[in-house]
This record gives sequence, structure tokens and C-alpha cells, in this order.
Amino acid sequence: MAKNRVKIEDISKPSEKLTHLDIDEMMPLPPPYDKIEEQPGWKKLSDDAIENLETSLDDTIAIGIPKPKNEEEEKELVEKFLRGLEKLLQKENNWTFLQPLLLSLEHCAKCQTCTKACPIYEASGKQDVYRPTFRSEVWRRIVHKYLKPGGKFFGRLSHGDIDLNWTTVARLMELSYRCTLCRRCAQTCPIGIDNGLITHELRKVFSQEMGIAPKEIHEKGSVLQLEVGSSTGMNAEVVKDNIDFIDEDMQDLTGIEVHTPWDKKGADLLLIHNAGEILAWPENPGAFAIILEKAGIDWTLSSDIAAYDGINYGLWYDDFQLGKVAIKHAEAAKNLGVNRIVVGECGHAHKALTVIADRVLTGDFNIPRVSAMTLLEEIVFSGKIKFDPSKNDFPVTLHDPCNMVRLMGIVEPQRRILRYLCPQFREMTPHGVNNYCCGGGSGFAIMSGHNFQDWRLAVSGRMKLKQIVEAFDDHPEPETNKYLCAPCSNCKGQLRDLFRYYGVREKSGIIYGGLVELIVNAMVDIKQPFINFDEMQ
Amino acid sequence: MSVIQILIYVAALVFLVTNITRFVRMASTPIHLRWELYPVAHDVKRYKYGGSFLEEADWYTKKLHKSKLGEMRVMLPEILLMKGVWEYNRSLWLWSFLFHIGLYLLSGLIIVLLLGGIIIGPNIFYGYDSLSIIGQIIYNLSYAMLIAGCAIGTIGTLGLIIKRMSDHEMSVSSTFGSFFNLYFIAAIFISGLVFFFSGNPVEKLITFYYSLITFQAMPNLGAAFAVHAVISGLFLLYLPFTHMTHFFMKYFTYHKVRWEDSPNVRGSKLEKRIQEQLSYPVSWSAPHIGADGKKNWADIATEEGENGKE
Repeated sequence: MAKNRVKIEDISKPSEKLTHLDIDEMMPLPPPYDKIEEQPGWKKLSDDAIENLETSLDDTIAIGIPKPKNEEEEKELVEKFLRGLEKLLQKENNWTFLQPLLLSLEHCAKCQTCTKACPIYEASGKQDVYRPTFRSEVWRRIVHKYLKPGGKFFGRLSHGDIDLNWTTVARLMELSYRCTLCRRCAQTCPIGIDNGLITHELRKVFSQEMGIAPKEIHEKGSVLQLEVGSSTGMNAEVVKDNIDFIDEDMQDLTGIEVHTPWDKKGADLLLIHNAGEILAWPENPGAFAIILEKAGIDWTLSSDIAAYDGINYGLWYDDFQLGKVAIKHAEAAKNLGVNRIVVGECGHAHKALTVIADRVLTGDFNIPRVSAMTLLEEIVFSGKIKFDPSKNDFPVTLHDPCNMVRLMGIVEPQRRILRYLCPQFREMTPHGVNNYCCGGGSGFAIMSGHNFQDWRLAVSGRMKLKQIVEAFDDHPEPETNKYLCAPCSNCKGQLRDLFRYYGVREKSGIIYGGLVELIVNAMVDIKQPFINFDEMQ
Repeated sequence: MSVIQILIYVAALVFLVTNITRFVRMASTPIHLRWELYPVAHDVKRYKYGGSFLEEADWYTKKLHKSKLGEMRVMLPEILLMKGVWEYNRSLWLWSFLFHIGLYLLSGLIIVLLLGGIIIGPNIFYGYDSLSIIGQIIYNLSYAMLIAGCAIGTIGTLGLIIKRMSDHEMSVSSTFGSFFNLYFIAAIFISGLVFFFSGNPVEKLITFYYSLITFQAMPNLGAAFAVHAVISGLFLLYLPFTHMTHFFMKYFTYHKVRWEDSPNVRGSKLEKRIQEQLSYPVSWSAPHIGADGKKNWADIATEEGENGKE
């Protein structure tokens, strides 16, 4: 339990750090990860970072906000922030989320039911600043004091006092990147207040008004995707070459001839992968290609800008970037004349294109979007492919990506496949819509600047690690191979780093991977195991 | 006409007008992007495990069925039993439950007393035995609701005050307003108890409601009644301007956000509204958006090139 206590109004008071993190105050981990001296901890911020960047929130930085040069610049930034908050409450500038935001502004009863649901707050040892309501309260107090008539008196009286200065803004900016937007807190709120939404909207103010966002999700993320085609930096030619290599590898590995189709006009479906899979986990798009080929599906990939990469980082911080990428995805499908878009194993891509963009894409752009989970379920139970579940006779558990499960309700298709193909499938606790985030949600999995990676592994990924280890507590020995199925590219990125950080492969014998790999591994036609426990991490 | 009567008329009017205005304003905000959270109650088939229509590969070929009964099945235990608090914040539940039951009973009492004012009216002066069966039911119900509501509410409110003071997470986020609201409500319950024990409470209440309904002057009903009525009237005036309007705003947080999963269908009314909203002008200042106060959402989202510029 955290020793230092922080009040909401403390956010405005300049100090070296608002809070400090100690591993021995954090939520304990199960064996063999329970020895504090063996936990990696995190690197200290460099002197250069401390001197030049805003580092006064906690022991890490997600954005790396340059310190303003003088008071004038500070005032200007504070003023900009306030103007952004105003725009957040205008229908013209924020019709996208105005109603849920107003509801969350006005009706919180401060009962703190949500705090118990937050894995970051719990894992950190209940650090006050990570409480889901902390940043929400700061925002409410600013709005009521500075934007409402008579706020200096009534706002302060009924909602609590706060001073709006550069320290407040800089800390709030960083604090908006200490929440994974998993919305577990919102799910438990008896009134329906959504602290995840408030975090999301704060990020929008920083991006849309002040032009400030972590470079991994803006500059090297959505901007790169719109310019080059993918946040991986791959242009159309490079991605096609890579897919060719993957097709060849798949043929060598499985003996099944695979030719991934590109830009096939009139195909039944356009498959959109997270392009990160192609570089980091090529067996995933490879397994997809094998399954679709064997099932006789009429499918294609698109080489149009942004359409071979399903990511849409705008979902986490910027409505306009979100809209631009969603339109590119829909445009590619329209150009090809496909009947539907199928989103591969990527949770946020699922939600961005299927649910969020549903009220952005109109007319010809409104092409049906479906989850790969449902397509795979249809294929697996269609009888078109023969399976031998005994090939998957090792302990398997499932990680539920928040975006796909809690926020879209796609819960059972992947489970029905696992129950059929994996004799030793077991659930985590809790699971389904009550799952815990991997700790890499809302862009964290790709954010590793300074020592932020250490923070997301030691703090935001802590609850997930506990859950994973406990799901296999009947086989704690590393000699027994175990598989964590995570049908989401972003979650896999976090799990890769989490497993390396704690030595999970070595200490517990657990590897992680997607759903399609398990499906292919169980195919009768595959002579060699598709999942190689010795090679996979 | 007494000051108390005027206060109650004004309070009731402000309460109704302000709450209706707030409801209408919230209802007329633009359609927002989908932001649902599962489980969604109107999907009866899948509610138990939190599934959605998106679990079907051909969902877009089917008509979405929303079960009102399914929503009621979830909302009623939530409103009456504080199911969410029970599930996720057990240590708060008892106090919250008693507090809300107290409020429900006193709110229900208003309706019963309005009926009493109409049905019993001046007959209350002739004694209990002179009342019709319905009159006697109203009398007994009022009696029970008043004492039960005030007693249960007092326990709940005091429990909430102590919990808010002693629980670290609640105390650090509490403001003057948080405690003020609880003390205010505690004053209603406690003054109600004092009034109850001051003698003939139902007779006095029915007399008062009769005078309100008929716009007649009210007799002197004693100091205990006056204190309770003034506190209650002031609370009615105050409530519409606080977070406590969540008692009806929950309609929006649940039905219009958490459970709002209507897909956008080509040619639908929903699509028309979205298209209209996509034409709203944008004035966000960050350079990558390229807004100028004239370009609209659709213009910006479909522009080519870095920072939204050619």
C-alpha cells in the first residue's frame, strides 16, 4: 500500500514529484515472481530528461513534454488548454462524445466504486494519483471553477478547489497516459460515469488543441500510417515482399501452398491485419492465409495507403486521426468492391473500424465490418478443415482484449474454438467482459521512451502477469509447455515485453501467441507442429 | 397563504422546470459515436455472458432486436436494490441501500399524500374511523412510509457520512459539497422523525396537502412540521442543480451510452443525423487538423496529405 498520500488539489503545487513508486509497496506477485529483489524495477530518468522535460508527476514520462522556456510560454499553454476544454464542451467541436462527457461531468457521486476495478491503481499499491477518479476530479474542478459562470465561488464550494497553472496542465497531460482506457472502472460505476472516457477526452484536448501527443502514437503512428501506409514504415511494395516471404515460409513449414491475394477486385472479403503482425509475428498472417485457403474463402489484402494496416491509433487520442484512417480503410474496401471487411487479430482495430467508425462511415463507405473471431468460428465448425485436437493437448488460457470483449461483446466465438481444439483450455480469473487489460492498452504497448516501458511492465502489466501465472497454477513447472492465447496484436506486444521482463518463458514455461496459430496447429493436414515451443517466446 | 406553502409551490415548480429542462437539453445533444460497454441488457440472449450481435459473422443482414423487458430486468434491481454497489463496493452497499430506500419512501409518500389530499381532504378532521377503506389505507400507508423512510434514511445517511469520513479513498475525493449534500438530506430525515413523534403526523400532512391542492390557507401545524417542510422545500429547490439528478440522468448513462449499440444502416434516420453532424464546422487549433472554423468534419477527415493540407 502506497505510503505517500496525494490530495487532488496537490496537483497544482510545484514539487519535484507528485508521487513516488516503490516496488515493495506494489501488489505482490505470485511465485516465482514474488521476490522483490528479483523484480527488475525500472531505470531512473536521465539527468537530461529531468532537466529539459516535465517529469514532476511520478517516476516516469510517457509524452516527454518540453519545459516551457519562460512564464509567458507557460501562460500561453495554460490558456490553450483552457480553450481546448471549452471546445470539448461544444457540440460543433465535439459532437462525437459530447453527451457521454456531459453525463460524466455532472453526475459522479464520488463513491469510489470504480477504484477497486482499476488494475493500475490496485497494482501500484493504491497510488492516489492513479485512482480512476483522480484525473476526472481535476478536470471537473477546472471546468467548474474556470468555465462555469460564478465558478470561482460556487464551483470551488461544491466541487472543490484547484489552481490552474502550468504544473497542473503538465501533470494532467502525463496523467492522461497512466490509464489504458480499458473502461473496467466505467463498467462498475452504478451511475454510469466513465473515467476512461474523461481520460480519452483529455488526451484529445492535448492533441487536437495543443498538438501534443506521444510521438509513438502520433508522429510515428497515425501520421506515418496516413503518409506511408503503415505505422511500421512499410510501404506497399515492402509489405507485399514481406507477405511473399511469409507465404514461402508457410509452405516450407506446413507443405501447404499459399498465395496471399492482393487487391483482388470483387473478392468476398477484405482482410485487414495489424501490420505489426507481419514484422513481429509473421506466423499469424501466415496462419490466416493457410486457414482461408484451405476453407476456400474468396479473400484479398489491399495495398492501398493505410489499408494493409488495421491499426487506428486515433482511437486513443484524436478523433480526426481516427476518422481519416477509418475512411482510408473503408475507401480501400469500396475500391475493391468487396462484400465485407474482416478485421484480423487486433483489438483496437476491431473497435475502431467496427464500432467507433460506425458513426463516421456513411453512404458507400458504410461497408459491413466483421470480426475475424466470427469468421474463424464459422470455418472451424464448417467441416471444411479436419482437426485433431490432441495436437493441442497442452494447457491453454485466453486473454480477452478489452476492445474486442468488454467494448464490443465478442466473447464466445474464440472460446468455442478453444474449447473444441484445446483439450486443456482453462479460463483466467476474472475473464470475458470482466477481464483485466494486458497493461499495454491505449497505445502503451508501443510506447517505450525514456523508462516508460519499465513502468508499463512493473505497474500497468502487473495484474495481467498475476492472472496469467495463476491460470496455470496446476502446472507451475517450466518443463510443461503452456500457451497464452492473445488474439490481439497490441496485447501481444505488451505480453512479449512482459514475458521478457520477468523471464516468464524460462520460469513458468509459458509462451503467448494468437488464435489462428492454435487452429493451424490442430489441422490434420499439418505434419509438423505449427507451434514450436522452443522457438516462440 | 403561508410562507411554507409559497416555498413548496416555488420549490416544486423549480424542481419540475429545471429537471425537465435538463432532461430535454441532454436528450437534444448530438448523436455520439458508439461507446457501449458489455454486457448490454437488451440483448437478452447474450446478456448473461456479455456477448453482442457482433458475435455473428452476418450480423449486418439481421435486424437488431432490443428487449425493453431485458433492460427492465437489469434496471429494476439496480434502482431498487443498488445491485452495482452490491457487486462492486460491498462495504458501501448497506448505507447506500438504506439511504436510497429512505429517499424512495419519502418520495413515494409525496404521491400517497397527494392522493390523500384529494381522497381524504377535510374528512381527516372527523377521525380515522370516519375514513373510507381507501382513506384508511392511505392513512396507514402514509404513517408507515413516513416513519420507515425517515428512520431508514437517517441510518443510511449517517452511515454514509461516517463512511465518507473514514474511508481514505472517499475522504480524499470528498468536497464541501459532498458532505453538505449528506447533511442536508440527514436534516430532512431527522426533522421528519422529530415531526413524526410530535403527534398526529398524518393528520397534519394530509391537511397540508389538501391546502396545497385547493390553494387554501393552511392552519398552524406546529414548529416540527414547519422545520421539516422548510428543509424539504429548500432541498427540492437545491437538488436540480446538483449531481443528484443522476436519479433520472441514469436513463441516459445506461440507455443512451452504455447500452446504445444501434448500428448505422445506410439510408436510415441515424445516418442522416450523422451526415448532418459531419457538416459541423471545426475550430480545433492543432496544426495537424488544419481547421479554420469553416471546414467541417467531413472536409477534414477526407483531406489528403500531412496535417490535412494538400
